[in-house]
Amino acid sequence: MKSKKGLGRGDTVLGIFALFLLYLLWSSGFFTAAAWSDFNRRFYQNFIKDNRYMMLVDGLKATIFMTSGATLIGVIVGLILSVIRVAYNGGAKIPVLNKFADAYITVLRGTPAMVQLLIWNFTIFASARDLNTQYIAILAFGLNSGAYVAEIFRGGIEAIDPGQMEAARSLGLSYSTSMKLVVLPQALRNVIPMLFNEFIALLKETSIAGYIGIDDLTRAGQNIQALTLEHSQPLVMVAIIYLVIVMLLSYLVRKLEQYLSRSKRR
Amino acid sequence: MKKFLAVFTILVVLCTAAFGAEETKIKSIDQLKTEKLAAQRGTIGQFLAEDLLGDKKGELLTTYEKYVDAVMALRQKKIKAIVMDEMPAKRFLNQVEGLAIMDEPLSVENYAIGFRKGNTELVEQVNKALAEIKADGTLAKIFEKYLTGDYTGVDPKTIDFNKGAKGGKLVVGTEAGFAPYELKVGSGFIGIDVEMCAAIAKKLDRELVIENMNFDALPMAVSTNKVDMICAGITVTEERKENMDFSEDYVVGAKQVILINAEDYEK
Repeated sequence: MKSKKGLGRGDTVLGIFALFLLYLLWSSGFFTAAAWSDFNRRFYQNFIKDNRYMMLVDGLKATIFMTSGATLIGVIVGLILSVIRVAYNGGAKIPVLNKFADAYITVLRGTPAMVQLLIWNFTIFASARDLNTQYIAILAFGLNSGAYVAEIFRGGIEAIDPGQMEAARSLGLSYSTSMKLVVLPQALRNVIPMLFNEFIALLKETSIAGYIGIDDLTRAGQNIQALTLEHSQPLVMVAIIYLVIVMLLSYLVRKLEQYLSRSKRR
Repeated sequence: MKKFLAVFTILVVLCTAAFGAEETKIKSIDQLKTEKLAAQRGTIGQFLAEDLLGDKKGELLTTYEKYVDAVMALRQKKIKAIVMDEMPAKRFLNQVEGLAIMDEPLSVENYAIGFRKGNTELVEQVNKALAEIKADGTLAKIFEKYLTGDYTGVDPKTIDFNKGAKGGKLVVGTEAGFAPYELKVGSGFIGIDVEMCAAIAKKLDRELVIENMNFDALPMAVSTNKVDMICAGITVTEERKENMDFSEDYVVGAKQVILINAEDYEK
């Protein structure tokens, strides 16, 4: 059992590790005035000079645009696929659709997002020259995410007590109406945390978009690196921006969970 | 308490291992045959390093997506030396402390613009435009602008992309981490290749569009027609000629050099 009073063993180990890191920084002269002014000079060069921070802002815009677009596609595709698969085990058996959903999920989950992105851009949309590459990325990430979301939804739906469906059907509701009005709303509440985890993963996954020529947040950091030839600061800054967004999303999802579970507390 | 001691011992051991490695000075390129080398993925530097290392390339060669990463690895002594083009190497030499370029170049190359195999029409048009800008001194002026002085301050807006030209778009693929040939500044692009392509686009009465991708994605982009041509300081080789058509050379005698930590290098 963890003791609630005082520091646990884990905290002490962490503390020693932090002290050790501080010692390393101190011994490498990080806390001297010269190092501080050097840090400031590099910071100015990386982010302030010629408004270079705008490159990060533009990159962030692209990242957020791609993530939100892909999220939208992911939810829609995932919902449709999961309903097809659940319906096959339940009331509405449509073998063709089920086979399709099965194959879709197998293929899209069984290949890396990076490879899919390259195939979408250089093979499927090879001749689409005037199309904004970001739309292709949204499609690639969205369809990929849809496969994962489908499994999340299916898990959520199957976790709902079968008695709910039976009760709705016994009241004379059709299979699809009971699904829509009784099962799905309850399932949604259960899957929200996992769904948000998927989108947080998606946000980070868009960092590979640089491969097809999109200057997303990660690529913007690399562009600054190429300008200033400075390695650490642009990358650390990019990491901090990602982290802040993810923490913000996590905070929102906690609030949303509390809101959705208000009916559970009596 | 035992655990802290264990953690601490491990850390100390790791540090001595990291900082106590033995040093050998490099005098000639031959000595590099058994050292850890790096190059940018898909570049001529990678092929040269592979040739140099022979059978050992699997364990000794690391390829990086960006030059900055390779130089960082070099400074951290994860690798012994980088094979790269002379111009970006010189830029690193000026801005990063403790580097050196070996006197002896690994090879001398020519740069040209790459096209999809069989796109003869565009190759001919570009060759004609290239000859014109060579003849009227435009190209020489561009080179002079970037080879002297600090070009990172060049405003991308001053480069005329010939917007709204009647001949349609001329989409050019590049990798904007290869100064002074191409570099992203703010939301625009600058560099020798960019300005040269702008001049060519003007001659062809087409609007220049730059697509910034990773270097190893460029051949794919041009062969699938995603871009009309690729211009990224690309070296002409016999092997590449099999899969790609090239324009006339626009840089002759670009050296491939070895970038190394100054302390490891003995002239």
